[in-house]
Amino acid sequence: MNLKRLLAVAYKEWREILRDRIFFLLAFGLPIVLMLVFGYGITPDVENVPLAFVDYDHSALSRDYAQHYIESRYFNFKGYLHSLQEADGLLTGGKIRVAIVIPEHFQEDLMAGRAVAIQTLVDGANTGPARIIQGYADGINSAASGELQMSYIARHLGISLERAQTIIQPIKLEVRYLYNQEVRILWDVAPSLIMFILLLTAPMLTALSVVREKETGAIYNIYASTISGAEFLAGKLLPNILISFINAVILWLMVTFYFGAPFKGNLLFFFFATLFYVICNSSMGLLISLMVRTQIAALMITVVLGFIIGIQFSGMLTPIAALTGSNYVIAHLFPAMYYNTVIQGAFLKNLGLAALWPEVTLFVAYSAGLLGACYFLFHKRTRT
Amino acid sequence: MGQTALVTQSGQKPVVQVIDFHKRYYKHPAVQGVDLTIRPGEIYGLIGPDGAGKSSLMKAVAGVLTFDAGTVEVFGINLDSEAAAERIKGRIGFLPQGLGLNLYPDLSVEENIDFFARLRLVSEAELAGRKQRLLATTRLLKFRDRPMKNLSGGMKQKLGLICTLIHEPQLIILDEPTTGVDPVSRRDFWAILAQLLHEQGITALVSTAYLDEASRFHRLSLLYEGRVLAEGEPDTIQALAPGSLVVLQPERQMEALAGLKARFPQVEALGSWMRVFVNEADPPTAIQQVQQVLAGIPVRTIYADEPELEDVFIALLHQQQLARHHPIKAASAETAANVRSGNGVAIEALELTRDFGAFRAVDDVSFRVRQGEIFGLLGANGAGKTTVIKMLTGILRPSQGAGHVAGADMHRAGMAIKQRIGYVSQAFSLYQDLTVVENIRLYAGIYGLSMADTRKRTEWILDMGGLDGHENDQAGSLPMGLRQRLALGCALVHRPQVLFLDEPTSGVDPIGRRHFWDILFDLSRNEGVAILITTHYMSEAEHCDHLALMFAGRIVADASPAEMKRQVEAEVGGLLELTTDQPTLAMERLLEQGYKETTLFGRRLHLFSRQPDSDRRRIPALLSAAHIEVASIMPRPLSMEDVFVYWVTTLERQESAVATGTG
Repeated sequence: MNLKRLLAVAYKEWREILRDRIFFLLAFGLPIVLMLVFGYGITPDVENVPLAFVDYDHSALSRDYAQHYIESRYFNFKGYLHSLQEADGLLTGGKIRVAIVIPEHFQEDLMAGRAVAIQTLVDGANTGPARIIQGYADGINSAASGELQMSYIARHLGISLERAQTIIQPIKLEVRYLYNQEVRILWDVAPSLIMFILLLTAPMLTALSVVREKETGAIYNIYASTISGAEFLAGKLLPNILISFINAVILWLMVTFYFGAPFKGNLLFFFFATLFYVICNSSMGLLISLMVRTQIAALMITVVLGFIIGIQFSGMLTPIAALTGSNYVIAHLFPAMYYNTVIQGAFLKNLGLAALWPEVTLFVAYSAGLLGACYFLFHKRTRT
Repeated sequence: MGQTALVTQSGQKPVVQVIDFHKRYYKHPAVQGVDLTIRPGEIYGLIGPDGAGKSSLMKAVAGVLTFDAGTVEVFGINLDSEAAAERIKGRIGFLPQGLGLNLYPDLSVEENIDFFARLRLVSEAELAGRKQRLLATTRLLKFRDRPMKNLSGGMKQKLGLICTLIHEPQLIILDEPTTGVDPVSRRDFWAILAQLLHEQGITALVSTAYLDEASRFHRLSLLYEGRVLAEGEPDTIQALAPGSLVVLQPERQMEALAGLKARFPQVEALGSWMRVFVNEADPPTAIQQVQQVLAGIPVRTIYADEPELEDVFIALLHQQQLARHHPIKAASAETAANVRSGNGVAIEALELTRDFGAFRAVDDVSFRVRQGEIFGLLGANGAGKTTVIKMLTGILRPSQGAGHVAGADMHRAGMAIKQRIGYVSQAFSLYQDLTVVENIRLYAGIYGLSMADTRKRTEWILDMGGLDGHENDQAGSLPMGLRQRLALGCALVHRPQVLFLDEPTSGVDPIGRRHFWDILFDLSRNEGVAILITTHYMSEAEHCDHLALMFAGRIVADASPAEMKRQVEAEVGGLLELTTDQPTLAMERLLEQGYKETTLFGRRLHLFSRQPDSDRRRIPALLSAAHIEVASIMPRPLSMEDVFVYWVTTLERQESAVATGTG
């Protein structure tokens, strides 16, 4: 290893990335854009859904019922409407996404002990959020009717509200969500996005780096010189690892400060593990770069591989435990899954090296394997 | 000194020794049994068209490509393994093919040099000195901070040379360093290369696709389809295909051409002139033989000339039966009837101007092309040739000026123009994944030909382009020459009256180029098609009836090729070629004596003289006073390249004089 030659390659690489506008955007712009897009896109947390009431009853009880919705953080109350037609217009125009219609004699029927049907109109154009909205409405409705039931029983039997509650709901499920107390999907997904975005962008940079020179013919400067394979590969890898690590820091800042996900773990350990994950991914890209001939091929392979691993086999969207058969095995073949464990541990559980050393060791071994393969694949005298 | 050193060293071990070299890519053989010996201090040339196997051989010598059989020895080291190849790399410099492609576009000139130097562990102190010297020699000093991507083609090429030389290698391998560079920069490059190699005693292996560059080498190999056609000194190769070149200007051109083609395999039409290569004949016999064939056809001028390497190359191919003969079909009655009579103007450009922002790409350009005329537009890269064509074909709007193409106004009748013209662009316009016939049908469909017409034209194109037997081949799999003729055929599918060709012959081998020009000649003479063509092969410019030379967006000369040569001769005098055993020394002496236009061509010198007759006596005397022996000094006819270089250097000088005068 001659450090001077290694640094000559690394310095040249660094300069080129900073000066080539497209490459610069790919290196530093893309991760930020992906974080914003996926951060808002994947998150199915639906809050502040615009909602309006059509209250044909105008009674104390109907206002009381509506209040349950108005107080909820899931809905953003836009006001009372006069007619169903008015609600239709607003739904079509997208001004509101839910309209709840309270029929006439709502209070009268309830007081008389008759069941009442509440019509709920939901904008179903987007099925995902529509289901979630329906879920919210269900929940709020059963809470409201439970309270009504309780006060009705209490009044009729002349017992206390607590007593009435135990009568109608003898078993009460009490769930405490650990680690992510508010069960915000964003808090869960956003940290995992660090894993996903690094899985896409870090290999992309290295995948383009060697094949780009193959395309232009600049690789012959290397082939025809005295630089060794190891020096060249290390020179290519170093600046790209640095860039991807800087990106990891930026992504972490976005997740914690912009998306507000809590970070409970040890920052030093987290970045230590992240560095090795980045080396893993950069080495993967380098291997791809050595195997293909065109930048297009390198780009396609890294993107397709990144998406398949990230979406299917990383535990980000589908928990690994829920995978079966070969999928379960495949997931264990890629470092993404292990880094997702590191992220979950560091962000939500305050786990450190003591608990997660197997994962970090695996990154080191994985990188060593990939770099070894690179070393054996790189020839300064080629067939074509 | 260099030349004497060369003589004493020729007994030494060769720098490169290649024996029975074979290289194949998958099933396709690229090089089949090539031998090569390069002696210390030589500039050795590999000359051949694309696909001849030059690059494969050079890469193997540079130790960056494996090969299938044979031995390659460099500095006495047998390159039989990757480890063995590593042992020569400290002593070689390799410049791969592609103008400036191996350089780093976003780095400055200086940063590029620094990278190559650090890669080669050149100490900073040594680097500073060498960088200064090489930048000064190549006149790139004032561009040292400019990003490489903003350099002109000629400057990129010189930077590539500096980067290859920065670690002072003993052997440099340059793969087509002059391809895609304009003639002025090419001459400049050869001069610098010769100077640097001479100063440092470096051996060089250089390839080129330009046959007229052969005289730049001490020795060379002519390659064709992976085999050596001939090797040795330029003169020796010339002698392998003995014969004479007869140049004549006959009256009834088509009749004369048909007669000559039937008798001689190598006949070329150049405007109103013709060149005939007569095998194994001395000049008087050759002229006699030609005159016999032309019995009855009046001939205005006829004389014998020395054949050029391209003639020899093709003669060698014929000798070894590698060349296929392409007879030109006589014009059919139907097409002959299409000939428009008279001297109608087919293309007229009137004060065309085009600005791109603050940059004026085309400045006040006017010219006329008559029906049936081949009109050549010459100029260095960026002179504005393509922009002119784009305006005339209606692809680009002119900022000012007017034009008429095939009787339609360029401003108002864009669609009508497109129906009446054919256009073969620089960038290849065929669909590579479609077959030959599918491509033709596609173009026939675009121009709305009827079924019957499509069938007729498909047949005509296959016949014209010599594409029979390739009907169902994919366009992408055809050799360059065939592809280019298919592109031409597609552009002709709707029988246009005007044809625009933008550098159509780049990358086509000499035989393919001659075939292409035969077709163009036939089109212009038999079908009355007006042809406007741009080319960077100066030898091709001779084929044109009329030439316009563009410089910085303007037309600076507009005449027939012969007229242009006469103009330059009137300005600077005749060209003398001098052969001597010490050319570098002789050149120094001649430059001292005020022969400013002296250039080195391998072992020969070219110089311009206002009094050629008295100089032919004076110069040998002058040099023998300095103990330099002159073997011969002969007047030579000017080539189009001489004309081009003269114009461009004169204009550049004027421009820089103006620039320094005002600034």
